[in-house]
Amino acid sequence: MYFGGIDVGSLTAQAVILKNNEIYSYGSIRVKPSPVDSAATVLEEALNDKGLSREDLTFCVSTGYGREQVQKEGLSGENMSEISCHGKGAHWASPRARTVIDIGGQDAKVIKVDSEGELVNFVMNDKCAAGTGRFLDVMSKTLGISVEEIGELSSKAQQTIEMSSRCSIFCETEVHHYLQRGATMADLAAGINHAMADRVMALVRRVGLEKEVTMTGGVAKNVAVRKEMEKLMNARLVSYKIDTQIAGALGAALFARKFGEVKS
Amino acid sequence: MITLGVDVGSLFTKGVLLQGDDMLASLVWETTGNISREMDEFIEKIAEAGKISRSGIEVCVSTGTGDDLVQEADFTEDEVACLAMATRVLIPDVELTVDIGGQSITNILSDPDGEVLNFMHNDKCASGSGRFIEVISDALGVEMSNIDATVNKAAKKIPVSTQCAVFAESEIVSYVNEGESVPDIITGVCEAVARIVVSQTLRLGAVNKFTVTGGVARIQGVTGVLDERIPGEFIAFPIDPELAGAYGAALLAQMEE
Repeated sequence: MYFGGIDVGSLTAQAVILKNNEIYSYGSIRVKPSPVDSAATVLEEALNDKGLSREDLTFCVSTGYGREQVQKEGLSGENMSEISCHGKGAHWASPRARTVIDIGGQDAKVIKVDSEGELVNFVMNDKCAAGTGRFLDVMSKTLGISVEEIGELSSKAQQTIEMSSRCSIFCETEVHHYLQRGATMADLAAGINHAMADRVMALVRRVGLEKEVTMTGGVAKNVAVRKEMEKLMNARLVSYKIDTQIAGALGAALFARKFGEVKS
Repeated sequence: MITLGVDVGSLFTKGVLLQGDDMLASLVWETTGNISREMDEFIEKIAEAGKISRSGIEVCVSTGTGDDLVQEADFTEDEVACLAMATRVLIPDVELTVDIGGQSITNILSDPDGEVLNFMHNDKCASGSGRFIEVISDALGVEMSNIDATVNKAAKKIPVSTQCAVFAESEIVSYVNEGESVPDIITGVCEAVARIVVSQTLRLGAVNKFTVTGGVARIQGVTGVLDERIPGEFIAFPIDPELAGAYGAALLAQMEE
C-alpha cells in the first residue's frame, strides 16, 4: 500500500510517498501562485518518479498553505496542521527527538513531541521575518550571494560581526554600512548566521529545551546556523539521513497511513 | 542669540537655525555614511542660507540617532525632549506629539510647560516607520513624494494584514500579481502604517489635541487616517514636520546661557 503526504510552504512544496514504513519516493518544487497547483505538481512529480498514479495511493494528507483547499480539490482525503506534521516527520526520522526546530521560508516553529511523535506543545513566529528563512534570503541578497552560500561562507570568517538590530530591514542597512567600511563578506555572514540562531533561540527558550533536539526545514541545511544553535543551546542537534525539507510532507504521509489503516 | 539644532536621523539630517523664536534657515540632507565629515559643509551651507557668518552661531545642539556624529555640537539633547519642546513652543495646547521617523515611531505626552509626562518609542522594528513606507513604495515603483497623488486615484482600499515590512512587501507584490491597482494598494499601506502607529498611541491614553511630526507627517494618506483613529483634535504641525526635532534642539540651545 502507498500513502501520500503533501506540504506546501511559502517558497517550496514537497510530496512524500510512503510504502509500508519506507520513503518510497519524494519530490520538491518551487511553489506556484496557487497552493492547489503546487500540490498537484509536486505530488505528480513524486508519483511519476516511480511510475505510480494518484489511484495507487490508499490515502493522502495535505498540510501547509492552502491545505484545506488542496483537500477540497480532491488531492488529499484529509488535512493536518504543519505543526503536527513536522513533529511527526522529524520524530520518524530521529525517534529520540523531543524538540523539533522547524525554520521555514516565512516562519519558525519550535515543536515538542512525546515518545510517539505526538504534539505536546509549540511556539511559533510568523509575524516577523527575523529568525525565519526570509531573513537569510534578504541578507544573502544584500551580500550578493545565494542563500545556499551563506552557511559555507561563515566558515572562512575571522570574527563574527554582531548585528545591533533584529529587524531584517534594519540589518540590511547595517550590512550595507559595514560593507562600505570594508568588512569582509565572511565576517558578515558569520554575524548574520549568529543573528538568525539567536532569534530562533528565543523561541526555544519560550517552549523549553528537551533533548534530543533536531532541526527541519530549509534553514536546517545551513551548517553555520546549526553550529550556532548548538553553541547557544549547549546541546547537539541530532541529524538524520532524509532531506530536512521533507519532514512536513513525511509527517503528512505518516498521518495518511494512520487514516488509511483505520479505513481499511 | 543665534543657535543651531541638528537632527541626524537614520535617513535624513535636518538643521534649523534660530534667532530667538525666528527661524533664519533650515536644511535637509540625506544621512550618508560620511555625515560626520560632511557636517562642516552642512553648517557652512545653513549659515549661508541664514545670511550670517558661521562664527555667528553661538550654541549648536545635536539630536537624533546620529547625534554623536556632530563634533561641532556643544552638547546633545534627547530626541524626545527636543520634540516636546518644539510642540510646546509652536502649539502650546497640544499634549501629544506623534513622531514617525525614518526608522522609529515615538509618541510623547507632555504638559503645557513642555515637560515630558510619558513616552513610547519603537526603534527595534521597521513596522510603521518611514522605512516601512519606503520599502513598499519602492516595490510598487511609487516615489515617496507621489504617495498622496497616488492615493487620490484609489477606488478602494486593499487591506495589508502583515506588520513586518519584509512580509508586507511580499503581500503587496502578491496583490499586484492578482491585478489590484497600485493606488488601491498604496491606500491600504497608508492605512496599515497609521494602524501600527495608533496601536502605540492609544497605550498612552486619550488627549484633547495631538500633532504629527517626522517626514511621514507630510503624507496626508497617513495623517488622514491618524486623524480618524486617534481620539482628539488633529493640529497640523505649523512648520515642515520633518524639522521638528532640529527645531526643538535649536530651542533648547536658546536656553543655554
